[in-house]
Parts: sequence; structure tokens; C-alpha cells
Amino acid sequence: MRHLLERRVLLFGGKGGVGKTTCAAAFALAASRAGRRTLLVSTDPAHSTSDVLETKLGPAEREILPGLSGLEIDAAREARRYVDEAKSRMSGLFGPAVLAEAARQIELTSSMPGVADLAVFDRMSDLVLSRAGAYELLVFDTAPTGHALQMLRLPDLLSSWVEALARRRREGLQARANAAGADAPDSRRADPVLAILEARSVRLAAMRAELGRADRVAFVLVLIPERLPLEESVRAAHELSEAGIAIGGVIVNRVLPEEASGEYVEARKAQERVYLREIERRLPPVPRALVPQLESDVHGLAGLERVRACLVAESGPHG
Amino acid sequence: MNALEFWHHVEEVFEGMALSGHRRQMRAEALELEDLFLLMCFMDLLGLPNPGALYLLDVYPYLVEEFHLWHRRTGFDRSPLATFSCC
Repeated sequence: MRHLLERRVLLFGGKGGVGKTTCAAAFALAASRAGRRTLLVSTDPAHSTSDVLETKLGPAEREILPGLSGLEIDAAREARRYVDEAKSRMSGLFGPAVLAEAARQIELTSSMPGVADLAVFDRMSDLVLSRAGAYELLVFDTAPTGHALQMLRLPDLLSSWVEALARRRREGLQARANAAGADAPDSRRADPVLAILEARSVRLAAMRAELGRADRVAFVLVLIPERLPLEESVRAAHELSEAGIAIGGVIVNRVLPEEASGEYVEARKAQERVYLREIERRLPPVPRALVPQLESDVHGLAGLERVRACLVAESGPHG
Repeated sequence: MNALEFWHHVEEVFEGMALSGHRRQMRAEALELEDLFLLMCFMDLLGLPNPGALYLLDVYPYLVEEFHLWHRRTGFDRSPLATFSCC
């Protein structure tokens, strides 16, 4: 999957427990070895990236190795930060009475379901739209499939919603201006509410456009050769193509190695071959990488090295 | 005042009446649109999901005044929302 080294943004996703985090970390390591300044970002609430790398990652970018930095996005913390920033932006603009009332509404809003996702998405947008200059490649370790897809659909959902709000606002202002007569000041241009909504709308459109650029952004499906992860990946492939996000590769993790033997292992291998054929047939024709089941679980850089070698090896059914 | 001037005045009076009716109608329309906008912003308080509530945080302070005018004209002396009691 060397071709993926040329992208700007890679999103690693798959069913919980298939090894997304390991594969994302190993690929980020591969990219940094290949000379690409890489940022590994964990958005998975499980936050196993620190464990895999055996180094503590936090909300701020931190260099792990030369050319490889990492951070973990914490949803609750992001929501809090977003709220605090909004509060500080408005503190200079309004009187204390207005602020006290608005503050209550703001606190209430920040505890609504879905707000944490939105805050994570907002931080992802920040990284993709503004930090892409500092890094050549951003590798996102996403939440389990369903959740990740929901988040990637946010810009679509939100931009139509924010645009609808802006349109209502514009109509309202226009109607008020009409009612006030021709000599009324042009309230439309000065309206701060409309300005905020329009700025949001521009940003959402930018993120949406970026996610749709197949030459820059790709989703990497990670799965293991078993029934449920396979079915979930097939569904995810559908949904991603509907959302207009390119699939750049498929990683089949924990494949039993050739040399393993014994009656039990042979039986499992026979079943595995069925799933591997299905993976070939039912997932989109993008490059595959097979990562063997290792004799011990992967954590620390030494373990990641072995996975890294499999991910960028010049083999696999599709190259 | 000659007859022509008189008719000019009559015309102005009628025009003014028509215009004020029109204005009133336009004002009512403007208020309706503003209410719709407020509703979309405060959906979550009415139990409807608000997909982008977080994106409205900076907007809320600007709406305190508009919200106040809305509940007054709707007939609530005080804010009907416990969480947004502007007065």
C-alpha cells in the first residue's frame, strides 16, 4: 500500500477490535520512515494509541519519533474547549446580563448528545484545513465504523442545516429592511449572526470539498478474516462511496501465517480462505495488505515494525 | 386650495393608508421569518434535535434581545424557557 504514502489524509477505520489503532500507528511509522512528516491522530474514544506506542499522547501534538508526531482527541475535552472559546469570544461584546443568560443556554447546549461528536469533528477539520501545512500526512485512527461514518457525514448534514439557518436569517433581515422602507440602514451587511453562520458554512464546505478529493484523502478499511468484520466492512464500503469518500486500501489483519500447522489451525485456515476469497470479491478493487497473526500481540515500536513491513511490502493481490 | 390640489391631498391620504397597511403586513411577515429563525435556533429546548447546536454558541448572545421581543409579542410576560430567562 505504498501508494497511500502520497495522500495527505488517511482515515483508518473498521469494526471494533480488528486492529485499527495498530495498523494506523504502523502506517504512520512507515510514512515517517519514508520521509513524510506525519501526524497520527486518535479520535477513537478507546484511545489505545498511547498503549500501542507505549508513549503517553495527549490533546496537544507531540513528537514521538523524528518525523512522527501524535495526539489524542478527547471528545469531552474538545466540547469543553469549544464552549470556553465561544464564551471568551463573546465576553468583550456583550453586557453582563446578556452574557449570564446566554451562558446558561451555552452550558445546556454543551451537554446535548451529539455535541461531543461535533467538537471532535471540528477539531479534525481544524487539523485537516489548517495544520496540513505543518505535516505532509495526517493519519486518523477513527472510532469504530458506524460512529466514524456518522462523523464523516456531519459536514453534509451540518452544511445544509447551517445554510438553511443563514437563508432564514437573510430572509428575515430582508423582510425587516423592506418593512422599514428604503431609507433604512442596510442591516443585512452588519448582522453578526449572519456573519457567524456564513463563516461556519464556508468552513463546512471547505471540509466537505477536502474529504471528497480522492487524490488527497482516502479511507483505509481494516478487518480480520471473520464473518462479522467482513459484513461490516462491506456495508462501510457502500456508505463511504455514498458519502463520496474514496477507499484507498484494505488491510486484512491477523491472517494465520503459512507456517502455522496442526489440526485446529488447519481447520481455521480453511475457514479463513473462504473469507479471504469473499474479501477479494465483495470489497472494492483497491490495494490489499495482509498482516499475519503474530506470535505475540503488538505493542511498542518493535512490534509495530513488523506490521509496518507488511503494510508497505510490494505484494498483495492488487499490488 | 383648488380642486387639483384637493385631489392630490386625497390621493396622498389614500396612498398613506394603503402603504401603512402594506407596511404592517410586511412587518408581520418579517416577524414571522424571525420567529422561524428563532425556532430553528432553539429547537433543542422544545425537544427537537438540533443538529448543530454547538455551532450556535456564538450566536446565542445576539439572540437574547430577539428572544425577549418574541416571547413578549407571543403573549408570554416572562420567558417560557427556564434555561433562557431574558427578563
